Amino acid sequence: MSEMADEPGHPEGDPGVPPRDRDVIRRARIDESCRGPVMFFILTAVVWLLVGTVLAIVASVKMHSPEFLANLEPLTFGRVRPAHLNTVIYGWSSLAGIGVLLWLQARLCRAPLRFHRLLYGVGVLWNLAVAAGTIALLTTHFNSVEWLEFPVWTAATLGVGFLGVMVVSLDVFRRRTKHHIFVSQWYLFGAVFWFPILYVLANMMIHLGMASGIAQATANWWFAHNVLGIWFTPIGLAAAYYFIPKVLGRPIHSYYLSLLGFWTLALFYNWAGTHHLIGGPLPVWLTTVGTVASMMMFIPVVTVAINHHMTMVGHFQKLKYSPTLRFIVFGAMSYTLVSVQGSLMALRTVNETTHFTHYTVAHAHLGMYAFFTMAMFGSIYYLVPRLLGREWPSATLIRVHFWCTATGIFLYFSGLSWGGWRQGEMMNHDTVDFQAIVDYLIPFLWSRSFAGILMTVGHVAFAILLWKMWRGKEPTGEPALFPAKGAPKREEDSLHDRPPESKREESS
Amino acid sequence: MNLIYLLIWGTWVIFGISVIWALSWAVSRGHMTNVEQSGQSIFDDEEPIGEMTDYFPGEGPDGYLNAQEGTDE
Repeated sequence: MSEMADEPGHPEGDPGVPPRDRDVIRRARIDESCRGPVMFFILTAVVWLLVGTVLAIVASVKMHSPEFLANLEPLTFGRVRPAHLNTVIYGWSSLAGIGVLLWLQARLCRAPLRFHRLLYGVGVLWNLAVAAGTIALLTTHFNSVEWLEFPVWTAATLGVGFLGVMVVSLDVFRRRTKHHIFVSQWYLFGAVFWFPILYVLANMMIHLGMASGIAQATANWWFAHNVLGIWFTPIGLAAAYYFIPKVLGRPIHSYYLSLLGFWTLALFYNWAGTHHLIGGPLPVWLTTVGTVASMMMFIPVVTVAINHHMTMVGHFQKLKYSPTLRFIVFGAMSYTLVSVQGSLMALRTVNETTHFTHYTVAHAHLGMYAFFTMAMFGSIYYLVPRLLGREWPSATLIRVHFWCTATGIFLYFSGLSWGGWRQGEMMNHDTVDFQAIVDYLIPFLWSRSFAGILMTVGHVAFAILLWKMWRGKEPTGEPALFPAKGAPKREEDSLHDRPPESKREESS
Repeated sequence: MNLIYLLIWGTWVIFGISVIWALSWAVSRGHMTNVEQSGQSIFDDEEPIGEMTDYFPGEGPDGYLNAQEGTDE
């Protein structure tokens, strides 16, 4: 388990190296091992973020101005909408999530990342699969099962990709040099080991014709809910549980609560998916199981909310000074909100108003954008300077990114929630003319397009920042960019004297 | 339909079993003892408790510390 520290000449085992420098060198070594693959995942993720954003704007504008791009067949609403969903889920969110996951695993296991070729292979395959799948979506070569629209060969490729990530995670964990498992690692294991199994099973049921009709809908929403619960939520929470205390310099308020939160999430989330089918022609017990599990989800949600809030109490002013903290805390607060809202939406009385309305769309974006995407932005702001050994080129652009995305998603969520709830109420009254409901919604749909443009500005600012970082000057070789207060100045050549990672591996 | 129910419920049960197995493994390996100590495992001598590790570029840590002189904590 401690093979890294036992390597000949390793600084952690060298009594001549002061403890502070040993920590710096160890972290630098781990970051160096992550640099190539993690940056590959992050950079390609941002390309998909931009593609998904363009598709989102097109879909959004078409909702209130259907004549927009009406003559372009590949960009009709029925194609653009699933193309948006799949590019942001399997392109941006999953690739960014894998990048952050790998870096967090290596950091928390205190072991370098290996199998670079495998990871590059996974990254290339993944990107090709998403690109081919998106083209298939825009040319109608897809099925109509939401979240699983990609053709079977695309899904199979992504399944192989998940397997590669699983192997690398297991390898890092096996070589860990820290006995204690930090709570973020539990969440990451949940994502890496449970979700791929679920992905493969769900695709088999849908694509191999094992499920049709009601059974297909059951399999569909059991999977779609678990994409959030067992893939994106654990990665987002792992990031929040690591970065909030790490940036603040303050341990989590209650580590007991954090563990309780993880284990209860692991037990309950998987059962909640069928609440998406309330009101459908399913056996009542099946949707009731989903409702009960959704209520049980209050336990992990409340533990996370208490823990994050109590860790932040007295330190909220630090949000002004740290880009990572801003994005992550925004994401963590949104997690509480979206989870409480989701549990309430699983109640039949609430669901009969919100079902089939824009309220649900607002809820989905609160989860995938305000929580997960903001958490990924925050994580990337922390880890990229450490991977590349240089600082972000512009504080102003970071602020533009934060305020445009934060204001954008707030506007998005409030507009569609308000309009969607009223839409549901009107739809439940058979005296209200359907056209009147459509007309009522148009201003809210415009507000969504405006919010989307704000978010797009933020995404462009983020892409410019990342591009400048990537194309910037050569790494400075500084392992930690932010020396602690009062820390003695390190020897400038403490790292430069060491051979590069690749050479060390060759010689050992 | 029955096959689908079997698969879904089967997976739920397998998930449940794997959660219980992982929890048992964690307890047997001592990961549930001294848990508050685990919460401090992300800090070390170079990035100790009490010091922030992230700032806007070109603005920290001096800017933050000067602004918070005597008011933090």
